[in-house]
Amino acid sequence: MGHGLRFLAALLISALWLGCGRSGAPQGTSASDRAAAAGRTHELIIALQSDGVSLDPHTVSDAGSMRLIENLYSTLLRYGEVYGEVEPDLATSWTISEDGLVYTFRLRTNAVFQISGEVVTAEDVVYSLDRIRELGVRASHFEPVAKVTAPDSFTVVITLTEPFAALLSYLAHPMNAVVDRRVAADQGLQSKGGGSGPFRLERWRKDDRFRMVRHEAYHLDGRPRLDAVTFRPISDDTARITAMRNGEIDVILDLAARDIDRLDGMPGVTVTSVPGTFWEYLGLNTTRPPFDDVRVRQAVAWAVDREVINQLVKFGQALPLKGGPIPPNHWAHLDEVVYPAQDLDRARALLAEAGVAPEALKVDLLVGSDFAYQVQAAEVVKQQLRAAGLEVTVVSLESGMFFNRLGERDFDMALVGWLGFVDPDEWTYNLFRTGAPWNQQGFSHPDVDSALAEGRRLLDREQRKPVYDRVQRILTEQAPMVFLFINERAMAALDDVRGFEAHPTVTTLSLRDTWLER
Amino acid sequence: MVGYILRRLLLALPVLAGISLLSFSLVRLVPGDTVTAMLGMNYTEEQAATLRRELGLDRSLAVQYGRWAARAIRGDLGASHFTGLPVTGAILERLPVTLQLAGGAVLLALLIALPLGVAGAARRGGAVDAAASGVGILGLSVPNFWLGTLLILFFSMTLGWLPSGGFVPFGIDPVENLRSMILPTCALAAAVCAVLVRMIRSSVIEVLDQDYILMAEAKGCSPARVVWRHALRNAMIPVITVLGIQVGYLLGGSVVIEAVFSLPGIGQLALQAISNRDYVLLQGVILFVGSAFLAINLVVDVLYAALNPAIRVGGPS
Amino acid sequence: MRAFTWSMVMANRLALTGGLILAFFAVAALFAPWLAPRDPYEIVPASMLATPGAEHWLGADQLGRDLFSRMMYGARISFHVGLVAVGIALTAGTLLGVAAGYLGGWVDAVISRIVDTLFSIPDILLALAVMAVLGPDLTNVMLAIGIVYTPIFARIARGSTLEVKQRLFIEAARSIGSTHATIVFRHILPAISAPLMIQASLSFAFAILAEAALSFLGFGVEPDTPSWGILLNQGKDLMDRAWWLAVFPGLAITLAVFSFNVVGDGLRDALDPRVVKGT
Repeated sequence: MGHGLRFLAALLISALWLGCGRSGAPQGTSASDRAAAAGRTHELIIALQSDGVSLDPHTVSDAGSMRLIENLYSTLLRYGEVYGEVEPDLATSWTISEDGLVYTFRLRTNAVFQISGEVVTAEDVVYSLDRIRELGVRASHFEPVAKVTAPDSFTVVITLTEPFAALLSYLAHPMNAVVDRRVAADQGLQSKGGGSGPFRLERWRKDDRFRMVRHEAYHLDGRPRLDAVTFRPISDDTARITAMRNGEIDVILDLAARDIDRLDGMPGVTVTSVPGTFWEYLGLNTTRPPFDDVRVRQAVAWAVDREVINQLVKFGQALPLKGGPIPPNHWAHLDEVVYPAQDLDRARALLAEAGVAPEALKVDLLVGSDFAYQVQAAEVVKQQLRAAGLEVTVVSLESGMFFNRLGERDFDMALVGWLGFVDPDEWTYNLFRTGAPWNQQGFSHPDVDSALAEGRRLLDREQRKPVYDRVQRILTEQAPMVFLFINERAMAALDDVRGFEAHPTVTTLSLRDTWLER
Repeated sequence: MVGYILRRLLLALPVLAGISLLSFSLVRLVPGDTVTAMLGMNYTEEQAATLRRELGLDRSLAVQYGRWAARAIRGDLGASHFTGLPVTGAILERLPVTLQLAGGAVLLALLIALPLGVAGAARRGGAVDAAASGVGILGLSVPNFWLGTLLILFFSMTLGWLPSGGFVPFGIDPVENLRSMILPTCALAAAVCAVLVRMIRSSVIEVLDQDYILMAEAKGCSPARVVWRHALRNAMIPVITVLGIQVGYLLGGSVVIEAVFSLPGIGQLALQAISNRDYVLLQGVILFVGSAFLAINLVVDVLYAALNPAIRVGGPS
Repeated sequence: MRAFTWSMVMANRLALTGGLILAFFAVAALFAPWLAPRDPYEIVPASMLATPGAEHWLGADQLGRDLFSRMMYGARISFHVGLVAVGIALTAGTLLGVAAGYLGGWVDAVISRIVDTLFSIPDILLALAVMAVLGPDLTNVMLAIGIVYTPIFARIARGSTLEVKQRLFIEAARSIGSTHATIVFRHILPAISAPLMIQASLSFAFAILAEAALSFLGFGVEPDTPSWGILLNQGKDLMDRAWWLAVFPGLAITLAVFSFNVVGDGLRDALDPRVVKGT
């Protein structure tokens, strides 16, 4: 057995050596060469963080499903190349009445559903918008809609109860898609879809591969340019990167901050990043002690060091939010700094003012376990708040359980993110209005409520801007959420992937125009 | 022989009932209301009532169990509450991955353990024996998830030879399939290999020390022939038993290995069920895995009896 | 008995090595608060992903926490979980096994079937299922692992009890009017303690592995707890730029498990007269 020990030592040493080995591009070829060598010239493979659960656009709310769905269906309008603009999709043109209450859309006549083969008509649009409003998940997008009618087969009229600035943005939201009413009524949309988008589902092996092929009868000539697109859910960051290095995938859609520089220098790979719309915050439950006291909430806002969290957890790649949540590249950005830097004295003073003795307060900080970096951010927050005299316990829960407890307001503090999308209404209305569906903080403020209603009614950007400035100012000071940072939306693609755009909302709509130069 | 098999089957029945009771009661043991836990945050009382009815939660426990078991026997494990798809289908879809992983691991483990164990036993104290002992201890001590991590670090990230995860069905691309399974199979095989090496080594030693082998040697059989023909054959009997027990490890280990290598197998399904609070799916997976373990061990027992006639007469203790 | 002398000595040498490693870990675990060079929870931005060296002996993690100090506290957690979990399994298993073996009849039948049932669910899966029901918490981790390893003790205790029961001296003891309690405590328990102790040592190894696996999969304790499994899980994501984060915690788990295994083997060689084999 003396040999046994030596053998063991040798193995351990070689294991160590393995560990120390330097990593580099293998065999001197670039990732795109490897992909080309594999013979994939008209098929794009995209890595996803997680698989989708359903292909029914009107009911899903997870990112995985949205990525799968958005290219299977068409919408009335779609996001334009310039962030915040919309362009025609099923609708070719539209008019808005003088009073801003009646929208009339003309539809194209050559759009065809994939499964039934029927032409997409105004009845389908009416059916879809009614279905969205009935099913509830995104009904709030169309709250001010009085009725949707189809005066003829290719005209849709939407009548509002009051002017609604965000309507066109919401009509372009990829999940507010036009669905095939025959399929929806017959077999449902969950497993096969039922749209008229540029790609149709070929085969879906859960947690493995989602392959879609070109929809030959798609309504734009020469689109899509690719024959097929495959989504591969790979939950592990390292596995995704290795797969890209080995040329097994062409695109990583949502690059973790710490992986940006890891991939940036890789031969054959290009990293693109744009300011994103995904922001992260500490949600504070304002319906129960201790965070029903605004001073305790402000103490938290002063006690966190956003720069340090950004540096440690995001490798400095995110943008700390020291004022409101809407980022600088958005017209509704609030250009004011409320919390310039960590100020522990101020935090302690606020706590003392609120009658909280140092170290006497114990709170739970909930975090979902899906994203390792969010858990790490929670660990940093815990130490920072301890320095201010708040004792925090980090509770990491599986996402189902996590959102469940948020929804039931069964939490003190939660670290979580929100995807802002396009219109400032999307950033705020359902989060901060009294009783809003995603108002997990239980926040209620009359000025915010009235401003949010006003922001919807005003159609002019110049007029809306001061309204959303006011909203963000109140939110930042009242601190139902302690805004942490907004993320870069970074994407990695092999060099020979062309026409695929990094969009702030992570949408993959540009797949329609993507091609491979192999 | 038939009597023996029947007796074993009879003994397995209460265990099967136990497994079904265990997996059934899991859903009922969850703290809080299962229905609201399943529905998440946006639901109406009506939806809750419907789900409660669908799950049969409005009936007595005995009725619930009876119905569930009756359907389970027919292969219907209900529908997942997260995806709405049948649980049986989800399990069958993922079964090939886990089967390939576990089967490959057993094969690989045997391939290494057999020569190593036998050669080690034949020349006790030699270099090969030292290697056998090293594998026997190290394989049991290295956590499979760490081994998997190191394999990825070396063969995938540093050398770029093999994929670090993901699965390609054999039918679609046999070469890719094998390439993607090499690392996970190795990671899972290590512990099995360790147990087998130890088992083979000690049982070959035991057999070699027995009189009839000494006799064979005395009769002039070559040592190699003695070891490979006589000793190995008899040594295989305990090895088969150990393999039966290792099935449990393989199924559990694949939960971890599938997570490390992102393989869409039964283990991932179980983890997914847990994180989605998909209790219908979880109880289905546990019932399936438990029954599979039971069935495999039944086969092993029968095999064991076939190889070793003495057992059949005495019956199991 | 020809394997006795030489390989026995060697096996003991290996067991001794294991024992020494365990002693080292035990000291680290017990005195971590005094011996650790740094606060294992202290976040030092300047030390983010620091390489092993004079400042941080085994390097620092992404949040700039000292890995060596964290691993010392990790030993505390691993050993704590191991002790309690094996304690639960040993107590419950012995109770069930002795009851089954000593009482026999339907008690034996029922207990044996329960044990068989628990045996047919793979350990990690069973532990995960128990954790899913109980919720993530260190106490629940120990309970889950304890439940998972109860059957093995029950089976061993039952087998040994049966054996002892059949031996004549029990008959003799009973005939001179001993109570059942005397028989169980005076005769059966001492006689079956050897195989149980061996199993306890081996199970300690399994418990450490199981705790690490549960934490590795993310079903363990508070995420900033420096459990070895959590350290490894966090290190795995960064291994191509900070190999030390994945290598050292894995090494610690391996060494601890290795040590319990060889100590268990050594115990078996020393205590179990029926086993006559090298290692």
